[in-house]
Amino acid sequence: MINTKLITAVIFLYLGSFIFYVVFLAFRSERMGKLATYWTFFSWIGHTTAILVRWWESYQLGIGHVPLANLYESLVFFSWCIALLYLLWEWRLKSRVLGAFAMPFAFLSIAYAALTSDRIDPLIPALQSNWLHAHVLTCFLAYASFAISCGISVTYLWKLRKEEKGGQAEGLTARFPSLDALDAMIYKTIAIGFPLLTVGIVTGAAWANYAWGSYWSWDPKETWSLVTWFVYALYLHARLVREWRGKRAAVLSIVGFAAVLFTYFGVNFLLSGLHSYA
Amino acid sequence: MAEKPEGGIFRSLADSLSSLKLAITFLIILAVASISGTVIPQNLSPEEYLRIYSVSTYRILRILGFLDVFRSGWFIALLSIFSLNLMVCSLKRLRAIWPFLARPERVLDDPKWTALANRRQFHVSAALHDSSSTMEKVLSKTLGRPKRSEESSRRHFFAEKGKLSRLGVYGVHLSILLILAGALIGSLYGFRGYVNIEEGQMADRIVLQGKRRVEPLGFAVRLNQFQVSFYPNGSPKEFKSTVSIVNGGREVLQEAIRVNHPLTYRGISFYQSSYGVAGVDRAVLTVKERNSGKTLSVTSPIGERTEIPGSGSFLILTRFQEDFQGLGPALQAILFEPNRPPENFWVFENHPELEEKRPGRYQFAVQEITPRYYSGLQVTKDPGVWVVWTGCFLMMAGFFMVFFLSHRRVWVRLTGEERGTRVEIGGLSHRNRLAFEKEVDKIEETFKVMLSQGKP
Repeated sequence: MINTKLITAVIFLYLGSFIFYVVFLAFRSERMGKLATYWTFFSWIGHTTAILVRWWESYQLGIGHVPLANLYESLVFFSWCIALLYLLWEWRLKSRVLGAFAMPFAFLSIAYAALTSDRIDPLIPALQSNWLHAHVLTCFLAYASFAISCGISVTYLWKLRKEEKGGQAEGLTARFPSLDALDAMIYKTIAIGFPLLTVGIVTGAAWANYAWGSYWSWDPKETWSLVTWFVYALYLHARLVREWRGKRAAVLSIVGFAAVLFTYFGVNFLLSGLHSYA
Repeated sequence: MAEKPEGGIFRSLADSLSSLKLAITFLIILAVASISGTVIPQNLSPEEYLRIYSVSTYRILRILGFLDVFRSGWFIALLSIFSLNLMVCSLKRLRAIWPFLARPERVLDDPKWTALANRRQFHVSAALHDSSSTMEKVLSKTLGRPKRSEESSRRHFFAEKGKLSRLGVYGVHLSILLILAGALIGSLYGFRGYVNIEEGQMADRIVLQGKRRVEPLGFAVRLNQFQVSFYPNGSPKEFKSTVSIVNGGREVLQEAIRVNHPLTYRGISFYQSSYGVAGVDRAVLTVKERNSGKTLSVTSPIGERTEIPGSGSFLILTRFQEDFQGLGPALQAILFEPNRPPENFWVFENHPELEEKRPGRYQFAVQEITPRYYSGLQVTKDPGVWVVWTGCFLMMAGFFMVFFLSHRRVWVRLTGEERGTRVEIGGLSHRNRLAFEKEVDKIEETFKVMLSQGKP
């Protein structure tokens, strides 16, 4: 199908994106930076086109539905959200330093998709609902925000270690934003992701209520999404009320993303339950 | 006689309950407890558990409540203490900031002025009176009508916006309590169960989940028809139960129940959950007369005498079996032909060739078997669900207030001088300081522009 060919191309485009951002960072080349941004932007346009083509192709097959229904489609969409959120961040911050730390997530997600079945399957009755759109959209935007937050946390810890070892005069880490700025960015990305995750969980509960008569069944997926919510709630309280900053906050942000990964993949592959769609 | 507890014990209990540290501890414990409920399979039968765990492990897990974590006493106790902690923390903080919100300080003394961020001071040539009225206009446009106080040669202004955003946090906390309250109401006054109804049958009571009790509905549900359709690849496309609600002997309404489209009547909701084949009602057979080669179709209801037109022979289908001796769906038939003893044989849906081997005037093949379905409906009643949704909406509103609004306050002090007015502006914002800085810049700019325009 055309859409799978386009998506495979995007995998390599995002890899290129990551490489350009790394080169930009390593050699401080403004030109490289501009190339990286434009390349990423146009790759994202291609990515969007691929998703729309897949949507259209599903209708051609007579089983039309929004491409958010299986693992392949969710990974492609997750990658799309990360690239989108990163580009928005870059535009707002007027800084490209995070590219090398955010784009790998976009690349890995869409590359992993290539390892799963790309068939377009018709929607089983449980998935035939408008709640699908709201729930999947908000959940993945939240996951993407948390992915970027994790990327920034890694950047933070790397720079912190370099500084602790002895001065940051020269070297790669000197070009990163200041530790305080990074810390503030981690907070901001979580402040965006947390309400989105809440809406994701609530729309999921509303949908479950229409489909199965129960808005919360302590199903492993539901429970782990709540665990993820607890971790980020903990982060926000620790930061806003107890003034946690720095290393502890960054580590907590990474723990939160580990919870996101378990909620997304771990539950499907290691546990069992009603939620085994994507 | 029990003594009145000392203020000391009460105080330290209240202090611990109102501590954030406790709340953080609880968040961690709740997270770990919830994880345990996903890693240890929940609510299985003892046999299933003994396949995974040793007998002693199983016993320990069962006694400690790990086999039904989310309904266990300790989990509920955790949630209860957490709720109490949340309530006490929130009330304590609300009490502390309330006076500050209700009666803001309009005029600041010098030490407080120096503490303000975004402070700026400049001189304008306009007189105090003009400066004052212009400043009032500018503040009204940006932050809202300011409060003014006057001294001999000074004017003080105070304007604020977004005070409500400070209550956002309390909205979020209250919403959590609402959600828990809604869940409690649901578990105390609601129920969950299921019922299987065969096509054409009526049910007026349901089996409660996890209990051996039956709950009467107060009305009856009749399944008129169940339809299932499949995609070409074999996966299910749609399950639809067309039901009628019968109340007091009268049919009150008729609706279709599909997945994601439940039916609610009198607070009780019915969800399409499963289905099965209860039996076969009738079959359509092709009858081929061997001599002439002519074929025709006959519809034969199970157990009823079906004529083979124009022959005097008739057939009765006595039984349907989903899988007869590994050969698949089959119908047992007795053929009555005039002047011959009744013949008893089986017709297989998937193996018409076996009929060819049976001698006789007629050869039969199965054209269509119409199953009689039963529909499995999940039935629930949850009076607390709207409390939960209210809590969710409140949480969204709370988040909006917490993350997207901020409480901004601006103080202005105008002092009349010989050749004009000394203007001092200062402000505080509890969030998003950069945007606030720009806002104060704008106030300064607009003030200067308006003043210069006002001059003839």
